[in-house]
Amino acid sequence: MCGRSTSTSRTSRAEHESRAPVIAAEIEDLLRRLAPQVLGAVVRRYGNFDLAEDATQEALLAASMQWPQDGLPGNPRAWLITVASRRLTDLLRSEQARRQREDTVARWALTERGGRRPDEPPAGDTGDALVLLLLCCHPSLSLASQIALTLRAVGGLSTAEIARALLGSEQTVTRRITRAKQAIKDSGIPFALPAPDELEGRLNAVLRVLYLIFNEGYASTAGTALIRVDLAQEAIRLARTLYAAQPDDSEVAALLALMLLIHARHRARTAPDGSLIPMAEQDRSLWDRDAIDEGITLVTAALPRGPIGPYQLQAAIAAVHDEAGNPEATDWRQIAALYGVLLGLDDNPVVALNHAVAVSMVAGPLAGLELVQRLGGDARINADRRFHAVRGHLLEMAGDRSAALEAYRAAARAATNLQQQRYLHQQITRLQAPAGTVR
Amino acid sequence: MILTFASQQQYQELVGQPAEQPAWSQEDWAALGAFMQAFNQELLDSGELVETRGLSAPVHARRVQFKERVPVVTDGPYAEAEEVLAGYWVVECDSFDRATEIAARLGSCPGPERIRVRAYADVRPIDEHQPDFEG
Repeated sequence: MCGRSTSTSRTSRAEHESRAPVIAAEIEDLLRRLAPQVLGAVVRRYGNFDLAEDATQEALLAASMQWPQDGLPGNPRAWLITVASRRLTDLLRSEQARRQREDTVARWALTERGGRRPDEPPAGDTGDALVLLLLCCHPSLSLASQIALTLRAVGGLSTAEIARALLGSEQTVTRRITRAKQAIKDSGIPFALPAPDELEGRLNAVLRVLYLIFNEGYASTAGTALIRVDLAQEAIRLARTLYAAQPDDSEVAALLALMLLIHARHRARTAPDGSLIPMAEQDRSLWDRDAIDEGITLVTAALPRGPIGPYQLQAAIAAVHDEAGNPEATDWRQIAALYGVLLGLDDNPVVALNHAVAVSMVAGPLAGLELVQRLGGDARINADRRFHAVRGHLLEMAGDRSAALEAYRAAARAATNLQQQRYLHQQITRLQAPAGTVR
Repeated sequence: MILTFASQQQYQELVGQPAEQPAWSQEDWAALGAFMQAFNQELLDSGELVETRGLSAPVHARRVQFKERVPVVTDGPYAEAEEVLAGYWVVECDSFDRATEIAARLGSCPGPERIRVRAYADVRPIDEHQPDFEG
């Protein structure tokens, strides 16, 4: 595909027009894949992250308009880099002209920072993408800015697409991105990998941002109408980019595996009316086998490599779920054990709640309830919908219908999402109905 | 060492971007490329070429100065019309006069007349080979 030259494409124009829709989708895919490589190459060569980012966006836009008409250039990546560099020259000229009119000087102090040592190999295409991800998730930026900037600079999404995907306004996203780029410029962070001792912490920030993007995709798909960019898919794409750059990092591989293993169930997850279907009731034939296989392969390779981390454990848990052909075949003993290890790494009340559910599947509802009651004093979770919903579920299993009803009612009051409220009220109605028939 | 110079404006004209002067025509551009290729090839063939490089537009330049021992960087230190180093050839040849001869051949480089009349190249000996004189 990449070897085709513009002139050959023009001679076969008729053929192109008949295949235009496929080609447009292919081009979009190609552009999104090339976006971080192009931005990385331009910033590495010319610096000026903020303007280079604008220039790259304009080059991507130009390509998305020209290529469907004229066909792909011989080397799409080189084409984009050339156009972006040319555009950067224009942007720099007008910025410098404005500065000279205003008699201001663009001065910044060169600071000594950790970075790539001269004896390390230079960054390639995937290395550039990694540097970009680390830059976009820099700790000096707010989390919201990290997410918006990552989607734009590494994901190649337009501001409008990001706004639509995050269900925010375009102005807010634009402001966030502008502020983030200004912050990067002011901080003088060099375009280079951080020093080895800093890399792990920075990488964790990237993993967190990618997982948040993934979960955001899940939160916003429920009940919302068509969104053009699927954030879950986008997060998987970004995780693949990161995995290509850091294939030996177990947590990086595990995050990609976790996303694939969860996303594999997405077709079975919602009913035609848009309501959520719990895993136990899902039609497992709708689960994406290929995604499950890929996820399992990734996490199986990552686990023995260690060191063990939260994404590996979560991916392993998702894999155990996905491996079961029906709910009864689920290996809850293994899931409970994995949640136990995860709890040891991360004192997270949601993990504790999931652990309690798994234990109840192995040792009965009372064993699970005992663990849940211990969380009753934890202010991080005891007012949360999930805490009450799990209690309700376990109390119902234990046969305490009135306490279960009370817990479901508390959960429904705490739920903010309409889908979740509907689901909980269904449970309440279901529990009330048989009682009504008795008396 | 043979040095050539150009301003940001001349770079703009060369690559056909909007500028004060009209852009180079496609013919001028192609002729320049052909000339440079032949020029470099001849120097390669004669074994005189050590290295040659063209520099990117001055707008991408950074200037590093030291203010109280702290390195301070200025982005874009040149004015639009200021002529700055655009490219160079390092040639290893028999004499300074031979190097000058080579530089003079750049005079037949094709291009729009308004550029050609103002163009110049500097030739400067590289400060080494002291033993030649001492010995």
